[in-house]
Amino acid sequence: MRPKTLLRIARWEATKGFGGLDRGAVAVGVAAVAFVLAVGVVGVVGGVAIEDGIYRVGVEEDSDLYGPVADDPAFAAVEPNPEAIDGGGLAAGGRYDLYVEDRPGGARLYLAESGGEPTEKSRAALAALRGSIDRYNDRRLSAEDNASAAFPVTVTVRYVERGGSEVVAAGDAGDASGADDGDSTTDGGAGGTDGSSGGGATGSDGGTTGTDTETTQGATGGDTEGPIGAPSLGAFDLFGTAGTTGTPSDIQPPFPFQSLVLAFLFVLPLNFLIQAYGSSMLSERLGRRGELLLVAPVGRADIVFGKTLPYAAASVSITVAIVAGLRLLGGEAGLLSVLAVAPLTLLFLATTFLGSLFARSFKELTFVTVTITTLLTTYAFVPAIFAETSAVAFVSPLTLAIKDLTGTAVTPGQFAFALGPPTLVGAICFFFGLGLYREEDLFTQRAIQHKALDALAERIRRPRSVAAVVVLLVPFVFVAELFAVALLFALPVAVSIPLVFAVIAVIEELAKGLPIYAGFAHDRYGRTLPVSLAVGAAAGIGFFLAEKLTLAVQLVGLPGSPVADAAFQTGFGAPTPGVIALLAFAPLALHVATSTVTAAGASRGRSTFVLGLCSAVLVHVAYNAAVVSRVV
Amino acid sequence: MSRAAIARRELGSLSREKTIVLALLIQLVIAGFSSFLVVGLTSLYDPGAAEGDVVVGVTGEEADRLLAAAEPVDGLDARPYDPADAEAAFDRNEIQAIAAVERRGGRIAVTVDAPQTSLQKTLVVVQLRAALEELERTERSARSEHLSFQPVSVSVPASVDASPYFGFSYAVLLPLLVFLPVFIGGAVVVDSLTEEIERGTLELLRVAPTSLTEIVEGKAGVLAALAPIQVALWVLLLGLNEIAVANVPAILAFTTALSVVAVVFAAGLALAVPVRQRAQLSYSLGMLAAFAAAALLPEHPATTVALLAIDSATPTTYAHLGATVVAAIGAAAILRVQLAAVDAESLG
Repeated sequence: MRPKTLLRIARWEATKGFGGLDRGAVAVGVAAVAFVLAVGVVGVVGGVAIEDGIYRVGVEEDSDLYGPVADDPAFAAVEPNPEAIDGGGLAAGGRYDLYVEDRPGGARLYLAESGGEPTEKSRAALAALRGSIDRYNDRRLSAEDNASAAFPVTVTVRYVERGGSEVVAAGDAGDASGADDGDSTTDGGAGGTDGSSGGGATGSDGGTTGTDTETTQGATGGDTEGPIGAPSLGAFDLFGTAGTTGTPSDIQPPFPFQSLVLAFLFVLPLNFLIQAYGSSMLSERLGRRGELLLVAPVGRADIVFGKTLPYAAASVSITVAIVAGLRLLGGEAGLLSVLAVAPLTLLFLATTFLGSLFARSFKELTFVTVTITTLLTTYAFVPAIFAETSAVAFVSPLTLAIKDLTGTAVTPGQFAFALGPPTLVGAICFFFGLGLYREEDLFTQRAIQHKALDALAERIRRPRSVAAVVVLLVPFVFVAELFAVALLFALPVAVSIPLVFAVIAVIEELAKGLPIYAGFAHDRYGRTLPVSLAVGAAAGIGFFLAEKLTLAVQLVGLPGSPVADAAFQTGFGAPTPGVIALLAFAPLALHVATSTVTAAGASRGRSTFVLGLCSAVLVHVAYNAAVVSRVV
Repeated sequence: MSRAAIARRELGSLSREKTIVLALLIQLVIAGFSSFLVVGLTSLYDPGAAEGDVVVGVTGEEADRLLAAAEPVDGLDARPYDPADAEAAFDRNEIQAIAAVERRGGRIAVTVDAPQTSLQKTLVVVQLRAALEELERTERSARSEHLSFQPVSVSVPASVDASPYFGFSYAVLLPLLVFLPVFIGGAVVVDSLTEEIERGTLELLRVAPTSLTEIVEGKAGVLAALAPIQVALWVLLLGLNEIAVANVPAILAFTTALSVVAVVFAAGLALAVPVRQRAQLSYSLGMLAAFAAAALLPEHPATTVALLAIDSATPTTYAHLGATVVAAIGAAAILRVQLAAVDAESLG
């Protein structure tokens, strides 16, 4: 790679089409401005209330309940018609889901019924109404002069480490600063009446944050009106630290809701970026446009990384801009957030690069891009939800960003655990993709499976290089296995463990078998028995060595759940040194044996390869069932 | 006739590349993901999902009041403790939290110590909050003579359980499943047209006895028609999961209208900017901008879908539906007029 040519290609890529203001650039600019404006407008209007008026309540305007109903956008107050409750009940399918009848002794509530039972909708409406009444009361009471009668109970929640019985300093500091933030920014004045108790001031904030929750609920989407009280998303409580002191309705369960939403800010631009990047890469393949660069005296790596660099740089600068914006708003985001997003960028770009080499048309590329977006966003988000509660969260780099946003420290081990795997996977995707960046694969309509074999075979020169390719595939094996564990985790252990064994056997044998087959199919080595043995041994040893890296997984502290243990066979649960030694080397024998079986099949042709692979999987499953389940 | 031939060809290429299958799979993943998020998160808060009660040790001079308030809360077991015993019990994991209740300046001050690292702490806080809110209600009514506003309360015929996912299914999940196919349909129109132009195959098509109008309408028509079909499938699937959707014809009409507007926008963009990268970026940014800006309408389109599905439609909802249909017809007419004026030779 020569930096000078790389940079020149990067400059071409970045300035392509910006020479003059052509229609395309104008269209993108207009759309981007419209997008920013529209989002700004939504921000000013106060979010999109999707639940607007989904429950219809028949209520008189002078009823006590009119206030709570009218204040909550989820309800539509409808003029009541007493005929609706003539039969002593409210029939479903009419104009009301709930009906309030004012009587001298107090209001009576009717739920829409069908077949004598309240409908699901009316019950949901009632649950929503209860919450709405509580918020309405709090809001009205916050205007009371006598604050201690209006809010007679104050609550402080402290998170304490078990065993030590001492309050964790970080949590405590967070509490205190959180309460301060709330005071200084949202104090409506009413809370100032009570100087002696800090709780009084935050108590009155409860009213304002309560309304925020209402208006932003729809915009954030992932929330229900059920028992989850979504913490407020108001601009003044961005970091979710407030609310640990206050009235009972102020305290929020520990859940990094705001931080998650903020972290989404980091991932959102990546989706647009890979769209542009994928288009650019694929359009090189249309009409042999890329040929000009390919025949020029520059290396493939220069071309690929030169074309990638502007997008990576754009991502970094967008992240820096977001971090700077958050800091201006008083957030704690910093360098760690930028570092956390970098491997995600690499992963997004690398998978898109590979996708654009495989896609046969723009249509297919769109679906590939959407798939990448969906899967990688899931990968980044689902673990990050548990940022406050579980070490598994560090599987995702986004957890680091959340820790950064909430001002929590991160150990170097966690840092490496979160950033290492995505960086590695991204780098390997680029490595395999580079193998495909050549005339035969770029400009011809080869079937996807052939391209995949091309990518593998490109890295195989002789039997022992199979080992290196298998090693490179191991991160993908882990990703696939983690995915399987995540999917099967919810099942009962009696079902999930055998299933995990089977799925893992298939994944691991495929990872060893495909490079072997690719080598035979591309005539990288002869189709003889000694070669089969050598290739099988190489694949087995390569896989074994790479797999032992999982020990690192255990060291960083993936919790010892039985499913995770079954997946990674670390054998740490074993009782004696002899067993540990056996567990350490038995897999080596297994991997060599099974991949030799596959290699023997692959040397004869495609159908025997499938046959060999199936027998290898069966042997693997039998081994797992016999050895692992007995010892662990 | 040639319009149908183009449409058939377009459909053929979609099914040959199996992208339609992929599209449905993606939607399934997105729907599954969002449901997983909500169901998973709700179960963190759901007392029914936990094994056994949350046990809380209550200490302090006013402990009795909290103990009384905790009585009616399901899944919460509040026990009186001495402060020292409570800490020991907390360390031994016999109780999940300590609540110290004191009287301070005319108020009741409760300090809750919850475990720092535990998946259960969410549930502990939620359960304790229920008890504390009950306590607040009791204390408030005891001081009601000092208040000018009397808190509203509601007497319910009987205790009723509500599904916490009810609002989510209609207000988030269903609109998501309506807007995704619409969005993807337009994106595919952009791809399909820009690819023909960039590859230079549009010229070949035009050698055949077809006009540009027929080509564009054939391609856009297929994708506009695919969206309501997908939505119909989702409605069926939701029905199997006991989420009954009301006003299905109206929802499908709304989807069709939206999808026509989307593909017209996409086709117009693709012809104006016949470079995929630019056109696709403008399309997705533009669509998101339109979706956000729709908040300025009297009713957001997502709300329209939700209100129709949950059977709470108002006259505004139907007015919205009508206006969208009119907009779709208008957009299609404008596209046809514009296409007649486009000089096909000028496209690559």
